Amino acid sequence: MLQPDLLRFLTETESTDTDILAFPVLHVDTRPKEPNLEKLASDCGDDGNEEIPSSPFNFTPQQIRLNKDHEIFEDGDIHRHFYLQDVAANTAELSETPKVSAFRCHIAGCSQLFDTLDGYEHHYSALHRHVCSGCKRSFPSDRLLDIHILEWHDSLFQVMAEKQSMYQCLVEGCDLKFKTSKERKNHLIKTHRYPPDFRFDKSKKSKRKQEKTPHHKDMSMEVSEAPGAGGVEPEHGESMELCASCEPDRQENTDPPHREPLKPRYSHKVPHTICFGQGSTRGFRGRRKKWWRTCIAGKMNWN
Amino acid sequence: MDTVANLLSREQVVDLLHRVQHGGEERVNHLRTLRKALRTPETQLIFIKLENSIQVLAGLLSGSNAQCQLEAAHCLLELSHSPHPSAGLACLPTTPYLLTYLSGQSDKFTELCLYTLGNLCAENEAVREKLLAQGIVPALASCIQRHNLAVVEAVGFVLSQLLQAKDAPVNIVPIVLASGLTPHLLATLQPVPQYGMGAAIECAWCLHYLVCSNVDDGTLVVQGAVSKCSSLLIALGGVMATGSTEEGVEMLVWPLLRSLGNLLAGCKLEGLHPQLRDSRLLPALCVLAQAFLQPHPALARESLWVLNNLTAGSSVFCSAILFLKLVPALIQLLPFSKGINCMVLQVLGNIAHQGTEYCTQLTQAGLLPALCATLKMANPEVVTLSLEVLVMVLASSSEVAEEFTKLKGLRLLEAIQYNSEGEMRLRASYILEHHLTSYSEAGAAAL
Repeated sequence: MLQPDLLRFLTETESTDTDILAFPVLHVDTRPKEPNLEKLASDCGDDGNEEIPSSPFNFTPQQIRLNKDHEIFEDGDIHRHFYLQDVAANTAELSETPKVSAFRCHIAGCSQLFDTLDGYEHHYSALHRHVCSGCKRSFPSDRLLDIHILEWHDSLFQVMAEKQSMYQCLVEGCDLKFKTSKERKNHLIKTHRYPPDFRFDKSKKSKRKQEKTPHHKDMSMEVSEAPGAGGVEPEHGESMELCASCEPDRQENTDPPHREPLKPRYSHKVPHTICFGQGSTRGFRGRRKKWWRTCIAGKMNWN
Repeated sequence: MDTVANLLSREQVVDLLHRVQHGGEERVNHLRTLRKALRTPETQLIFIKLENSIQVLAGLLSGSNAQCQLEAAHCLLELSHSPHPSAGLACLPTTPYLLTYLSGQSDKFTELCLYTLGNLCAENEAVREKLLAQGIVPALASCIQRHNLAVVEAVGFVLSQLLQAKDAPVNIVPIVLASGLTPHLLATLQPVPQYGMGAAIECAWCLHYLVCSNVDDGTLVVQGAVSKCSSLLIALGGVMATGSTEEGVEMLVWPLLRSLGNLLAGCKLEGLHPQLRDSRLLPALCVLAQAFLQPHPALARESLWVLNNLTAGSSVFCSAILFLKLVPALIQLLPFSKGINCMVLQVLGNIAHQGTEYCTQLTQAGLLPALCATLKMANPEVVTLSLEVLVMVLASSSEVAEEFTKLKGLRLLEAIQYNSEGEMRLRASYILEHHLTSYSEAGAAAL
């Protein structure tokens, strides 16, 4: 092992004392020892330092670059592989979430029952966190919510969209914009290889449809159409309901919130909306006042 | 605890799928059963071959009920582990949703989606190609900025799988470098290893693959890759030196060494000096080599490889090694094979090559007896390298020749002259003829 003072140097010394440029550098008098060097044999001889072209020595200090598949790396790669297998086994344990005694979601109007904290956390994030206060739809992320508000609830958007490309690609990092939502959809399918029935790319449809079964407060997420074959049979009473009154902050739109509970507006065939009870609002994100937002008061902190 | 039969028949799987599809309020429970069943490779295979099975999961994944979403995601995670090559392709309909959910807020769910994506990326080029088109890299770039270290670790994992693809240097690395991911990868390499080591491990392996791709070392250097690797190796060396063994720390040391070693080889050393000023890197590398000698000799060798890349042609680093008295520690490693003694000899050769003063100090540090030992070894490469180092040291001063003779070095050289390896014979003869002339004839009498 290292001598004690060297160990101390390694573990305790402050960085300023360890500056390599402060160390003395010895004088360099290296002589090239490449083979076949055309050096005259008239180099002085007795100290044995003469370079003779037939010298078999060829040591050259050389930095070595090793590519990814070099055999020196093989051992480490094997260990990495085993490590990842362990990680995979551990993520299987992600599955074993502890059960707690059943409890209900506290958001008014949502009485979903849970028996695991993870399940609840996810439910909350998925359904109550990014909610459009205008139409009560819920979105998986801020970004998709923003796009929705822009395209659905902003009349200025409609005006501008007539003159320029305003429909942005849903894929993060792709900055393209399109004149119509149909063009965008085609782009998603062609360039980004999205399925035609991607649920988060619905177009606006008529909102007035038939009654739905009330009562079941199950939440639905926004979908485009029911996915092709293999559609899932809706849960009993999986419907859209309007929430009872919700109070968006500083709302300037003209659409009055529905005051009668349980009066459905949408049918099975039209995208479901998520309906909440009084989603409490937290205020805007500082954008144009026409945009409505439902933000959840008090971020849930799970850490 | 529910017990699920280990091997379900096809009929049983069909039945389970049916229950999931039509289960109404019991759906969550059926999904849980399905999830457990999908741990078995045979069941995985049966499931993906059933008509509509993946579409059902995709529907639930993107659907209304959050608990079903979660369970569906778990099912997909199990499927993603399938060793069968068609499994990855079968899961493709779900990827746009998995990607969309990466920007959601539910950390556990995001983790699930990430590990599933990472598994899907691993083997299959068609899957990777699709994911790239669907924007996986920008999605990862957003995700990595979350504060949850488990999520960061999962992002690193996905990226490490992507970056190992054969075509990564052409198709993936440029996108990754352009996406702004790399500063966040580097940010996880903090010298507080026990906190979030999992995340640091994944990101370090990503860095290794990025460097190996040889696409743009310059950018990585500018972002501080050398400095980060160096500091963290110093911290880890310090930890190992005090004897406290962090379990699994080698998984972090390995990619750091590789990244640093290749960055050193790729860029002009002078340009890297600002990031290499902490001389504690040298003892750290020695400590790492010693500490891992028994459990992981390959790792010890890689540590010495980094030392080689630091010292080759560098008077600054060669002087520092001498100044810090690290030569005895290096000499202690000479008895060990598996490439370790060769690498040590390379380093010693780098130092000797710098000139007379260097050779003098090497001799004072006990190089000659060490060489006498290595000259007797069976490995021809070791002996040849030893002769290379020996000739440089002998050339530096006549006292060295004298001392070498006293150590019975001539006998060793004469023995080598009978060796089958031509390279060894040539060198040994050359030394005897040109550097030890005054000793070899008289020496015969003295021996």
